[in-house]
Amino acid sequence: MLIGMDVGGTNTDVAMVDDGITSLKVPNTLGIRHVLGSIRRTGRLAVSTSTPLNRVLTGPPVKVQTILIPGPGLFWPGSIRGAVNHRGDIVEGIDREEVDVALADRGDVLAIAGKFSVRNPSLEQEVAARALHHYPEEKISLSHPLCALNFPARVATTRLNARIREAVTRLTEEIGAEYRDFLFFKGDGGLIPPDYAVSNPSVLYRSSAAAVALGAYYLSGEAECLVVDFGGTTTDLVALSGGRPVMETLVYDGGRTVTTAVAAESLPYGGDSLIEGGLCPTRVGNALAFGGNRPTLTDALNATGCEIGDAASSRGITRLTGLEVLEEYYSHVSQAVEAHGARRLVGTGYLAPFLLPEIARRTGAFMIIPPHWDCANAVGVAISRVSLTLYARFDSGRGLVVFNGEPEVLRKMGDDEAVLDRCREEVQQRALAAGADPCDVEDVQVLFFHTYDVIRSAYRSARIADVVVQIAPGITAEAP
Amino acid sequence: MRTALVFHPRYLLHEQSREHPERRERLSYTVDQVREEGLFDHPQILTLTPKKAPWDAVAKVHIPEYLRFLEEASKSGGFIDFDTTIPPGLFSSALLAAGGALRAADAVISGEAQNAFALVRPPGHHARPGTGAGFCYLNNVAIMTRYVQEKGIRRVMILDWDAHHGDGTQQIFYEDPSVLFTSIHQWPFYPGSGSTDEIGSGKGEGFTANMPVPAGTGDESYHFLFDCVIAPLAHEFSPDLIAISAGQDNHFTDPLTGLALTARGYADLMKKAVDLAEILCGGRLVAVLEGGYSVEGGLPYTNLGIIAAMAGLDLSNIREPEGYREWLVRARDPFAHAKVREHAAALRTNLSPYWRCFA
Repeated sequence: MLIGMDVGGTNTDVAMVDDGITSLKVPNTLGIRHVLGSIRRTGRLAVSTSTPLNRVLTGPPVKVQTILIPGPGLFWPGSIRGAVNHRGDIVEGIDREEVDVALADRGDVLAIAGKFSVRNPSLEQEVAARALHHYPEEKISLSHPLCALNFPARVATTRLNARIREAVTRLTEEIGAEYRDFLFFKGDGGLIPPDYAVSNPSVLYRSSAAAVALGAYYLSGEAECLVVDFGGTTTDLVALSGGRPVMETLVYDGGRTVTTAVAAESLPYGGDSLIEGGLCPTRVGNALAFGGNRPTLTDALNATGCEIGDAASSRGITRLTGLEVLEEYYSHVSQAVEAHGARRLVGTGYLAPFLLPEIARRTGAFMIIPPHWDCANAVGVAISRVSLTLYARFDSGRGLVVFNGEPEVLRKMGDDEAVLDRCREEVQQRALAAGADPCDVEDVQVLFFHTYDVIRSAYRSARIADVVVQIAPGITAEAP
Repeated sequence: MRTALVFHPRYLLHEQSREHPERRERLSYTVDQVREEGLFDHPQILTLTPKKAPWDAVAKVHIPEYLRFLEEASKSGGFIDFDTTIPPGLFSSALLAAGGALRAADAVISGEAQNAFALVRPPGHHARPGTGAGFCYLNNVAIMTRYVQEKGIRRVMILDWDAHHGDGTQQIFYEDPSVLFTSIHQWPFYPGSGSTDEIGSGKGEGFTANMPVPAGTGDESYHFLFDCVIAPLAHEFSPDLIAISAGQDNHFTDPLTGLALTARGYADLMKKAVDLAEILCGGRLVAVLEGGYSVEGGLPYTNLGIIAAMAGLDLSNIREPEGYREWLVRARDPFAHAKVREHAAALRTNLSPYWRCFA
């Protein structure tokens, strides 16, 4: 049994996939434990949580204290002493007093980033150890688990992570109390174990859009299309190419991060969008048809003849108002859909059968509403597979191999093929330990490979290899 | 977009032999540093991928007999001299390096970028029309110069600051008054040429300016030469584009040479060149990587400094790690500057019949 859960703005969608698909929709007001309790099935649980994380990011401002250890190179204001070089050697130590003075200027959360920390994390860890006197662990984020070389992007990502790490830690504890071996669903459509998410929560960003994309592809089989997901608060557009969502680099606070996620366009109108002198890009509660106090787009559909929820409650809206509001909605969405130039549209979300036909008519696109359209997001989460990326740096001169920012002793390096085999095995073992199906880890992609000899005094003294391998996101072999 | 960075992953792969100074390792740490500094996606930097230079462009500098030899020898390996052997596949690598210089020039001419740095390997400035030498096969800067001249950039000033004299480039343009070749290099040293007496010949007489410097020469002397020789010549020559043969083997950690330039010294020197280009030729400046063999201790810092200067970034933290201080003190020769002044005076005298600024 594959269980997928997508925590949305209003409800949490749950899909249980084995030979058939069953789904649940549980109001978030009941709490995540209630949602988990209502599943009452055993199986692999995967959770998508981008909507609540988004709420943290758009919520009240948080003061992110940032301590940078850039060493020689480009200038970074407000940085502290200390430097790791490109080889991973500590060439300048930190000044503990300076660190303590910096920490005295407390923020709400703390981001620590050092240049080349992915080659040697010890300076970041040293600062973090001192910071524990000022911040609880879940409010401190470090840059070395981000693995990739790109200090400015790691700084931006670490600041983003500092903001959401506590929320992800809490969610992990809460879900972990009910389901010990659950997985988080990432914004690139893959699954990771919770400890990966806690050290780099930015990968969870946009996971709901990724869930819709994967679910739409799984349910419709449409590899080249635009997925239009009709939610309560937003209508989201995600383009699929070759059955995979188009990806982009996340930007946070004006800075590029090291994280890639589904490229999704989110229009601020959905079934719960308020009607007040026209269609408003805000949600104040449920539609009248679902027990709310004020009319929404869903009520406008009922006013024009649909039968959604308790349609009689939508009577407060006249047919004329309903038509006007729908015209406004169709105009916004059709315009955005047209800009993508898609010939085929796949509709998901509860309101898809009510809203997509008119959008398809206006844009001249072919329309598909797959089975289980109303829980495609949760299905996408359920049928995803464990996807891990391993950044490895072998340096026989230092006697170390660094896997994802964490150094280990390197006993024997071997030739190029041995290095690649070691990386493939490492990422496969990590994925299997995270609960991946053995069939899902067979295909390991080599994204980067560069190796060279270290020559000192005209002799070969060591060898270095940089490798990035990945078990790509996709649909698990376990999916029926 | 201010600065274009031309790079191809294949620039990391060329290698004559595993132990050769001009080997894979040479640019690997630099690329790590550039990547870690985020320069490949910096808003002021445009990263460009080159293609191989076309035969026609290369043949504007090198004779067809040499090109055919190089192409043939590249099939199974060959030999030019003990410094410069031909590994299999070399011709393709060399064409890609020359293509990097051309891509950089295209970016600057088209206005895609104000200036451009081609981080190429193998280097080029010792290559003459009929042969390679000193780790070089095709003269990237010369090929680029002829290429821009075909595109209407008539007057090109070349500043070759590699520690070794750019004998190949000098020979190619020795009789050509449309190219002002200037070079600062350690002397006496490989390849042996580059005295202040070599000033060009025929119509090109006066259009070659060599500034030999002794071992131990540091930042102060380079800036002195820039201010007292290069800048006045440039103002009077009034180039349409400035090309820099950017050899980073003047760094005080370089194991093959004996100079004492620092990373900040390089950055400030490039800043002066960029400012000069802005005053004289709309900022059009193309730098092409030449030598530099302090692969781990020097190149990451010097190349970063150069790129930062070209992109107009803050240079105040361009430096080596603190532990390098004693190394620098050992590399510097306190008597070198007097010799530099002496050579500069001789050069100014030799060039005085041709240039008002030295009259």
